[in-house]
Amino acid sequence: MQRITIDPITRLEGHGKIEIFLDEQGNVANSYFQIPELRGFERFCVGRQVEEIPILTNRICGVCPEAHHMAGAKAVDAVYHVDPPRTAKMLRELLYSAFYVTDHTTHFYALAGPDFVMGPDAPVAERNILGVIHKVGLEIGGKVIQARKYGHTVVEMIGGRKVHPCTSIPGGLTKGITEEQRQQIEEMGRWAVDFALFSLKLFEDIVLKNSTYLDLILGDIYTHRTYYIGLVDENNKVNFYDGKVSVVDPEGNRIGKYAPNEYTEWIAEHVEPWTYLKFPYLKKVGWKGFVDGKDSGVYIATPLSRLNASDGMATPRAQEEYEKFYKTLGGKPVHQRLATHWARLIELLYAAERWVELATDPEITSDNFRTIPTEKPTEGVGIVEAPRGTLTHHYWTDERGIATRVNLIVGTTNNYAAIQMSTNKAARNLIKGGNVNEALLNMVEMAFRAYDPCFGCATHTLPGKMPLEVIIRDANGEPIRELKQNI
Amino acid sequence: MTNQIRTRIIGLGNPILGDDGIGWRVAELLEKEILDQKNRFPHLLIDIQKFSLGGLSLMEQMIDTDAVILIDAIQTGTQPIGSVSKLNLDDVPDLSAGHMASAHDTSLQNALQAGKLMGANLPNIVWIVAIEAEKVYEFSEQLTPSVEQAIPLACQAVWEYLTELEEKR
Repeated sequence: MQRITIDPITRLEGHGKIEIFLDEQGNVANSYFQIPELRGFERFCVGRQVEEIPILTNRICGVCPEAHHMAGAKAVDAVYHVDPPRTAKMLRELLYSAFYVTDHTTHFYALAGPDFVMGPDAPVAERNILGVIHKVGLEIGGKVIQARKYGHTVVEMIGGRKVHPCTSIPGGLTKGITEEQRQQIEEMGRWAVDFALFSLKLFEDIVLKNSTYLDLILGDIYTHRTYYIGLVDENNKVNFYDGKVSVVDPEGNRIGKYAPNEYTEWIAEHVEPWTYLKFPYLKKVGWKGFVDGKDSGVYIATPLSRLNASDGMATPRAQEEYEKFYKTLGGKPVHQRLATHWARLIELLYAAERWVELATDPEITSDNFRTIPTEKPTEGVGIVEAPRGTLTHHYWTDERGIATRVNLIVGTTNNYAAIQMSTNKAARNLIKGGNVNEALLNMVEMAFRAYDPCFGCATHTLPGKMPLEVIIRDANGEPIRELKQNI
Repeated sequence: MTNQIRTRIIGLGNPILGDDGIGWRVAELLEKEILDQKNRFPHLLIDIQKFSLGGLSLMEQMIDTDAVILIDAIQTGTQPIGSVSKLNLDDVPDLSAGHMASAHDTSLQNALQAGKLMGANLPNIVWIVAIEAEKVYEFSEQLTPSVEQAIPLACQAVWEYLTELEEKR
């Protein structure tokens, strides 16, 4: 055994890459955002008992295992043609709401926060969570830790173990919760509501009251007019766990809603030669390239799109914020991508309020948490809203319930075309005459960070971070500047 | 016994991503072995966990411990596959200090620093047992043979760390 130091440059596989091509004048001719893809998951699942897949899929990625577990559980319910009892659905949604609070909190304070709290052109060494804590105060850091701790606690109580839940089975759950647990969950949920309101106030003070930031949000650089999708309940209110996927056009008109088992009628995938990952688009509109507008099938699935695709939020305080959001930003739909950060906080509040609503439902402690499946398994689709976008799991089985085929469309993939467009537009607008500096590159990155793209599954080995490489090439294709981070 | 060193052994990685699952495999084996030999470490309060986490989430799993031993796959490209290394956290460069690509990818060093700033009770000792991996991007529950063969050596490295902690006490 010997002591070694890791040479970071040796780990080049599986990293995100932005390549920016300049023309002879030093302006941006084009840019490409490439995302690593892990292949072979489908093959890995085939031949297994289908109810095993929700446990396996939550291992796809360490960032949102709860989302994969829930989409998988719903797909398995559909495979067995079984409808879980109300208590089971509520418990799953309760777990999921607590997970959302954890995830959205992290994003705002650790990812969006540095750009807005420290400023997009702050020195790189300060533009991180440590900088945020130093600037806004240690007390806020403590609240962030607390919010995440409460979220983890609820996931463990209902999901059966830390981080990677395992209690969803065909037709419901393996266990319920006690009255004592319910009281604890309710108390933590009430704290989460206060924390969400506090976070929205912080956003208002730091971002909305700063005209430079407001101009940045409302400016054209980060604006795209595309379609929007998101899961809604029967009243067309945002729902993370259940319902139909609402689709609205760039003018905000709902062109339809699809049930999980109808997704193939709505979503198709386009292939480009320069990347392994496919670009999903709206089948009914068609693929017209990386362009905005009503004739282009490009859509997004993000917190912003969920708000745009819905008629409102199902909880009172979040609804007030929803109304304020559209009033401040000039009506529906909002196309400015940086507004996603605000939308995410409105969802944080909704998730916390929903957490309390579910925890105070008289049936939440009922022991009717499973319907035993009696029909032969065939095929089923499950859809939930993962924090980063609509997550679709589709399983096929033989009559013994052995998986014969699996198809997944994950959150970030939905947004791939839009991320490519946003990155390209920001690069074109910001890099002129060959002038490239750190602050400009960060502003290009802000374009894709708004989508919170996540490739967590590729980041487990040490050093455990998403590597990203930005390469800028001149008119002859020669690299003139390379920026590597976390590689 | 009071004043025991709260020692958490964490198998890190993704058990369905080929060699990335090595940390879990080692932790699974240690679960049995340590249970059988608890008397060897009267001053340590040992528990063993398995996670697919990094950054902030991993830091949170270290709260209220005195010492943490991480077992994880590593890809340096400079070591033969299956090589076992004992590292300190400082040996893993803190590359994200200035530039985070994703909230979920905050470096552990950064997260630990942030956690301490926020008043969390975090360990002063974080040791790493790293196993050079080959395939970490393909879904599989199998380890490559050289990595599989490294399991006893990796367990041995953890035992050495535990002995060092026991002696420190």
